Amino acid sequence: MSAIGERRGRVVVTPEHVEVVLDPAGLGHRFLALFVDLLVVLSLSVLVAQASLLFLPLGIAGIVRGVAFLLVGWGYHVYFEIAHQGQSLGKRTFKLRVVDGRGLPLALEQSFVRNAVRALDALPFGYAVGALACLFDRERRRLGDVVADTLVVREQRSIPTDRRLARERAFNSLRVPRILRAIRYQVGLEEREFLAALCLRAEALDAGARFDLMEEVATHYRRKLDVRDIPLGGEAFVRGLASILFADRAAAPHR
Amino acid sequence: MDLERFIRERRGRWARLDALLADVERLPDKAIGVERLDEIVRLYRQACSDLSEARSLTANAELLERLNGLAGRGYRFIYRRSYGRRWLDAAREFLDHDVPATFRQERHAVLVAAGAFALGALVGLGAVLLDARNGERLTPAEFSSESPRARVERIERGEERIDSVEKASEFGAYLFSHNIQVAFLTFSLAALTIVGGVWLLFYNGAILGAVAGMYFLDGVHVFFLAWVGPHGALELPAIIFGGAAGLRLGQALLLHGEVATATALRRAFPAVWRMLIATALILIVAGIVEGSFSQFSAKTVPYPVKIGVAAVLALGLAAYLFARRPGASRHAS
Repeated sequence: MSAIGERRGRVVVTPEHVEVVLDPAGLGHRFLALFVDLLVVLSLSVLVAQASLLFLPLGIAGIVRGVAFLLVGWGYHVYFEIAHQGQSLGKRTFKLRVVDGRGLPLALEQSFVRNAVRALDALPFGYAVGALACLFDRERRRLGDVVADTLVVREQRSIPTDRRLARERAFNSLRVPRILRAIRYQVGLEEREFLAALCLRAEALDAGARFDLMEEVATHYRRKLDVRDIPLGGEAFVRGLASILFADRAAAPHR
Repeated sequence: MDLERFIRERRGRWARLDALLADVERLPDKAIGVERLDEIVRLYRQACSDLSEARSLTANAELLERLNGLAGRGYRFIYRRSYGRRWLDAAREFLDHDVPATFRQERHAVLVAAGAFALGALVGLGAVLLDARNGERLTPAEFSSESPRARVERIERGEERIDSVEKASEFGAYLFSHNIQVAFLTFSLAALTIVGGVWLLFYNGAILGAVAGMYFLDGVHVFFLAWVGPHGALELPAIIFGGAAGLRLGQALLLHGEVATATALRRAFPAVWRMLIATALILIVAGIVEGSFSQFSAKTVPYPVKIGVAAVLALGLAAYLFARRPGASRHAS
C-alpha cells in the first residue's frame, strides 16, 4: 500500500482501474473560503439593493430586491459549483474544490441540495452546526455534504516541470566500491525516500535554510557511512548520495 | 528503479495535461474541439498508468500526491455529465412537465408530510377546544398578548396596515425569504433524520391548529380564514412539500435497503431538487400574496372574496401538481 492510501480520504477507482484519492480539506481553510464567499455575497447584495433603489419603481423594488437577494444568496454557490468546476471565489483563493463523492463534478441537483442544507448548517450563527459536523466527520463534511454526497477537497499543486531529482553526475566522487557497499547496507528505504523528497524540495527552500539543512544531512551521512576523505560541500554530497541511490540498482537497499 | 528518469521522461506530458485541463475547465463545451479532447483523453490515460506505476515504484508522497491530483482532475473532466440544452427550453419543460410528474411520483412522501402536519393541526385544535388555556401553552407568546376578538376589532377598526404598494412589496419580500429559510430547514432536518422533519411538520401543524382553535373559540373564525387563507393556501403546502422533499432524501440516505447509499442518493436528487425549486417558487408567490392581499381588511375586500381566492389558489395548486392532464400521461411514470 502506498503512503498516500493510508491517509484520511476517499478512494475513487476510475474506469481505468486506477485509484485516485480525494483529500478532504480541513475546517480552517473551509472557514476562510466561506468568509471570502460571504463577503462577496454581501457586497453583491448591497450592490443589488442600491441598483434596485436607483432603477426600479418603488412598488416592485421590494419584491425584485427580495428575489435578487435569494438568487445571490442561494445561487452564488450553485453557480460557481456548476459553472466553475466546484470552485467559488473563496474556494479558489484557498485552493479548495467541491467534488461529487465519486470524484466527478457536481450535478446541478446535487449542488442545489447541498446548498439548501445551508439553512441548517448555518444555525444558530456562524455555521456552528456545519462546523461541528465537519469536526466530527472523518471526511470533514458539513451536513450539506453528507446529504448531497459531496466532498470539499484540497487542490494539489501542479506537477513541477523543472525541479529535478538528484541527477546522475558525469563524475561522482562518492562512486567508489567502499562507499557503494556502505550505502547498500546502511541506507534504508525510508531514508531513501527522505533524500528524494529533500532533493525535490531543495529549490523551494530559502537559501540559508537549504544550506543548513544540506550540511546537517551531509554531516549525518558522512559519519554514518564513514566518509571523511572526500572534500564535498553538503548539497553536493547529498545529491551525489541520492543519485547513487536512484540511478544504481546495485547500491539500492534490499527490499 | 530510476525515479529520476521516470519523472524526467514523463513530466512533459504531465505539464501538458495540466495546461490543457486548465484551458478546458474555463471554456464552454462547444469551444473545446475534438483534437484537444482526444489529446486530453490520451494524456489522462497515460497519467493514470503513470500513477499506477509510480505507486509501485516509490512512496514519495510529493510525487504521488501530484500525480494523484492530476489524474483526479482528468477523471473529473472526462467522466462528467454535460448540459447541452438551452436554459429557456429547460425551464419550460421543468415547469410544464418535470415538477408535476415528480409530485405525482413522490406522492407518498407528500402524503406522509401532509399527514404529520394535519395530525399536528388536529392535536393543536383539539387541545385548545378541550381547554382554552392550552392555546397559550402551545403558541409563541406573541399570539397571547391580546384575545383574538380584541385583535380582530383593532385591525378592522384601524387604518389599513399595508397602505402602499411599496410597503406590500417590502413585507412580501421579507416573508418569502423567511419562509424559504424555514422550508429549507425543515427539508434539511427531514433529510438527515427523517424523525426531526416529521416532528417539525407536526409541531408547525400544532401551532396552526392551536391558533385556529383560539380564533374559533372567540367566534372570529371567518376573520381567521380570510386573513390566513389566501397565502396559507400556498404557504402551508409549500412547507409540506419542503418536508416531503427532505423525507424522500432521508429515505435515500437512511433507509436505502440493499442499494448503496451513494446510488440511492443520486437516484433521489432529481426528484428532490424539483420539489425544492417548486417549494421556493410557491413561497415567493405566497409571500407576495401575504404581503399585500392577505393584509386587506373587510373595508377594502369582503371576507367571502378573500376566502374564495384562497380556495381558488389551493385548488389551482392541487390541480397543477396532481391532476392528470391530457398529453401528460405519456411522461407519467
